[in-house]
Amino acid sequence: MSPVFQPSTLSPAWATGICAGVRATGSRDVVYVPDNPLSHVLRVFESDYRDVRLILATREEEAFGIAAGLYLGGRTPTVMCQSSGIGNSLNAITSLLVPYQIPVLVVVSWRGDDVGEWNAAQRPMGQAIRSMFDAIGVAHATIASADAALETVRRMGETAFRTHTLGACLLPRALTTRATAAATPSAS
Amino acid sequence: MTRLDATRLIVGLAGDAAIIASLGHPAYDLFAAGDRPRNFYTWGSMGVATSIGLGLALARPNILVIVLDGDGSLLMNLGSLATIGLQQPANLVIVVMDNEQYATTGGQETPTAHGADLAAAARAMRIASAVTVRSEAELTAALAALQGPRVIVAKVEESAPVAKPSLDYVGVKQRFMAALGNAQSSILNPP
Repeated sequence: MSPVFQPSTLSPAWATGICAGVRATGSRDVVYVPDNPLSHVLRVFESDYRDVRLILATREEEAFGIAAGLYLGGRTPTVMCQSSGIGNSLNAITSLLVPYQIPVLVVVSWRGDDVGEWNAAQRPMGQAIRSMFDAIGVAHATIASADAALETVRRMGETAFRTHTLGACLLPRALTTRATAAATPSAS
Repeated sequence: MTRLDATRLIVGLAGDAAIIASLGHPAYDLFAAGDRPRNFYTWGSMGVATSIGLGLALARPNILVIVLDGDGSLLMNLGSLATIGLQQPANLVIVVMDNEQYATTGGQETPTAHGADLAAAARAMRIASAVTVRSEAELTAALAALQGPRVIVAKVEESAPVAKPSLDYVGVKQRFMAALGNAQSSILNPP
């Protein structure tokens, strides 16, 4: 499952792994609302995977709607957003993607888990997101390390596109902040 | 012009275009005007029909994609106009059935009843071909003449729905994808 293009050596390994995993599933369309860690992923897509189309959405629920349309047109879409944005997307997920069995691979930049979150606005959603996914039948897995990123994303894509479900990969800040050595708190 | 009149006119001109309908009355009228494999009826996800249409238009640039949205629905997702303005898909036509009310829920007025102008909003988001039409002749002319991504706000009178599409969502999806040449099995080959 080696990527066609050589990943940029300046990018964090978890970001290159995610991009290689998305591409290995066959997904060539990434609909996204950006956040700070995802900016690294977007940069790798832009520099190393020119055949992956990046589609900016104004809101996460819109991103899931665009992804549904891409799937109806024969594509295998990926959505990337922050965990807070899953809250913005619940109606599209539960009343469109789930009942119509429209699969989407989701990469969630996960804020608000137990380690190091300084923003109380991020904690409730971050704490709840796995339970919420369980409650609505969305498959999910946490990207445990940079080394595991490619395989976690690739295998979740297989689950999503073969079983017609949403498959979410959670990207914890513990992984991205260590890798990028962010020294100052960031609002996003 | 009632919404059903407008819908019948669009279906009659649609040829092999794909048509995505917003939930409630727009979807009911699309089914009543002419059930066809290239119709996709939503039963939920209010506000998202236009985004589904955008995704499909990007996936299949050689297929004309028509969205039958509502004024209340589009107001839930006005940001989608900015995304369409950014992407500029030439094969996407958004028809907003603007009855100036939430008809499916009992007729409460929307802001368009008080002058909110959805065609102007679309133009402001860089969708140059955005017009308001008030008759079948104007609607026909707009469908024929406009180029690029189009937003046609059709001022319509409310008409009571006369039929409803299937509740078999997966069946509707599979029929739609097969009609577009995307039977599900064809995209499930191992990566």
